[in-house]
Amino acid sequence: MEVKTRAFKGKANETLADPVLQKSLENVYSGFHLRRIQAGGATPGWDEQRDRARAIKAHTIANLDYYLDMLVRNVEAKGGKVHFADDGKEAARFVVDLARSRGVKTVIKSKSMVSEEIGLNDLLEAESIEPVETDLGEYIIQLARETPYHIIAPAIHKTPEQVAELLAAKSGGPKKTTAKEMTAVARTLLRDAFQRADMGVTGVNFAVAETGSITLVTNEGNGRMCTSAPRIHVALMGMEKVVPSMADLSAFLRILIRSATGQRISAYVSVVNGPRAAGDEDGPEEFHLVIVDNNRSRLLKDAALRESLYCIRCGACMNACPVYRKVGGHSYGWVYPGPIGAVVSPVMSGLKEGKALPFASSLCGACREVCPVRIDIPSMLLHLRSELAEGADRSQRSAGVVDRASFRLWRFGMSGRGRFDLGARLVRFVLWPLSRRGWTGWLPFPLGGWTSTRRFKVPAGRSFVARWRNRQGGA
Amino acid sequence: MTDRNAFLEKIADHLGKKRDRRVQPDVSTHLAETREQASARADRMRKEARDNAPALLGALQEGATAQGWVVHRVPSPEDAADAVIDICQRSAARSVLLARMEALSRVPVEKTLKAAGIDVTVAARPEGEAYSEEARLAVRRAAFTADVGITGVDYAVAETGTVVLHPRGGVSRLVSLAPPRHIAIIEKGQVLPSLDELFALEREAFHAGRLTSSYNLISGPSRTGDIGATIVQGVHGPVEVHMVLIG
Repeated sequence: MEVKTRAFKGKANETLADPVLQKSLENVYSGFHLRRIQAGGATPGWDEQRDRARAIKAHTIANLDYYLDMLVRNVEAKGGKVHFADDGKEAARFVVDLARSRGVKTVIKSKSMVSEEIGLNDLLEAESIEPVETDLGEYIIQLARETPYHIIAPAIHKTPEQVAELLAAKSGGPKKTTAKEMTAVARTLLRDAFQRADMGVTGVNFAVAETGSITLVTNEGNGRMCTSAPRIHVALMGMEKVVPSMADLSAFLRILIRSATGQRISAYVSVVNGPRAAGDEDGPEEFHLVIVDNNRSRLLKDAALRESLYCIRCGACMNACPVYRKVGGHSYGWVYPGPIGAVVSPVMSGLKEGKALPFASSLCGACREVCPVRIDIPSMLLHLRSELAEGADRSQRSAGVVDRASFRLWRFGMSGRGRFDLGARLVRFVLWPLSRRGWTGWLPFPLGGWTSTRRFKVPAGRSFVARWRNRQGGA
Repeated sequence: MTDRNAFLEKIADHLGKKRDRRVQPDVSTHLAETREQASARADRMRKEARDNAPALLGALQEGATAQGWVVHRVPSPEDAADAVIDICQRSAARSVLLARMEALSRVPVEKTLKAAGIDVTVAARPEGEAYSEEARLAVRRAAFTADVGITGVDYAVAETGTVVLHPRGGVSRLVSLAPPRHIAIIEKGQVLPSLDELFALEREAFHAGRLTSSYNLISGPSRTGDIGATIVQGVHGPVEVHMVLIG
């Protein structure tokens, strides 16, 4: 996917000024966040499940080479094929070449964020292979030729009116008014694709090392369709998605689904253990698992960012985030928006390019609190901010000359008693004449940003130390 | 494609270590449990499920209703067949697709449906016939045109109102998915308390070489909230799902 992280500020401002988008974004809070909070509260042993899931993730990521190796051997033992891709281009190329070599004309896709990362649809289209997204939200986005707005609800920014127009244009039929009627139109359009397609491409929610399985969580049934109807199944997985044992799935499914939508369980959970077995009535004859790095190694390498790979992509941090809920998903400019996106998107797609993202947070900590595996997102945002300002890799630094000089001056002033007193006196001297009742509405460059939206409290006329001395003297 | 060893070496390198040939699983993961322990635990689970069968059937009824299943609890296989006919007639079904499963041989569904003038197809190639592309496509065509799909279950899970189906000979993946209505027939003794038991038993099946090529957890009708955050049932899977509980 094209990297547009540089445009954060402009996109955010557009979204803030768009009343329709602001209204749609309210659904994020009422539709997901509140339900997630209720679901957590209503689940016995909720916090223990989270702790256990986190411990499993920590152990698996710390031994990722070992568990991926185990996964590969077990997939192959059941007749599946495993492929590794260092980057997105390689992964997309592989899928397209496979489709061509098997004479595939139509590919049906279940929601996969990795497929967004690697820009699979564009490459398929360029080779005259038709990609059809089958998650309803993704399908709407595909019709609108946009990118997902949210990892769980890709089309949450689209109003029913806009969806009705897109579906009417596609089907050639009349414009429908209710969500039910529109869903029926999409069902009919997609049923045709399910029967035509020779290849199904899915993501992976969890891969199980011990059994060589992958798990898909869906509510619509498209994941099942993509793994049942076509003769080839390709699963795309980020390399961090592995868990050791099948018996670990219960804990992960409980926390993932409740955190994503507040449901006790999704309508469907599919566990794929390989291609169809000899006696089966149907199912894919070929099963390919593509394990993708695409710069996840950068997150793995930096011990301060490693736990971002514990993420199970539930989207709860987005729903909890006061910034995401105002600036929306497209502002972040790459596949993963919201708090976790502000960590992984800049690292995976270019830190300097995405320098605005680690600052798109008030560090309120709501994301850390809601995260089912307790990822410390605020600390990682601070880490990225410091990397941008004074990281060892100078090519990634992005802090401006003025910023750097001001902070150097600040450090100098704050680290000596005499300098501090002098500085305070200077500030008082400059600002006092400009203030009214102890507040000023104007600060000189480069501090003007502060007072463009709020006032600044000017230091008191006399310092505490001076008053103290005065009292001591008077007593 | 990238070479597997190069890929895994790089990961080990980023973790600041050499590649491990053997890792002691952390206690948090079930991998730490040996096969013997896992098998003993699975035996206990099966026994408990048998011992608590009536209570678990009640718990399933509750869990399933919360997930959007329409639950019909009947005392005998004959009553189950009647419940099935009733559901089919109410939805004006003309064609019904059957999986070939043990439970369905005990419940006289086929006979009763045919007597009611409903067209019945078994979604499987005839027993003994080898798999072929034509056979697969024939099952798929039948699945996409039927009004109702009827299956037994391999397990049910009370906690989540779930039925579990293992595709295999006689059980197409599409019977419970493609038709707009699905009826699952559940017998006493098939219900597990929670997902923990289900996945422990599936793990044991793997150890015993019995794990099927895939399996599905079905917990209510197909649904979406993708248009205006309004919940709509019946996107790609069934719009309506029924559980017939015998016992």
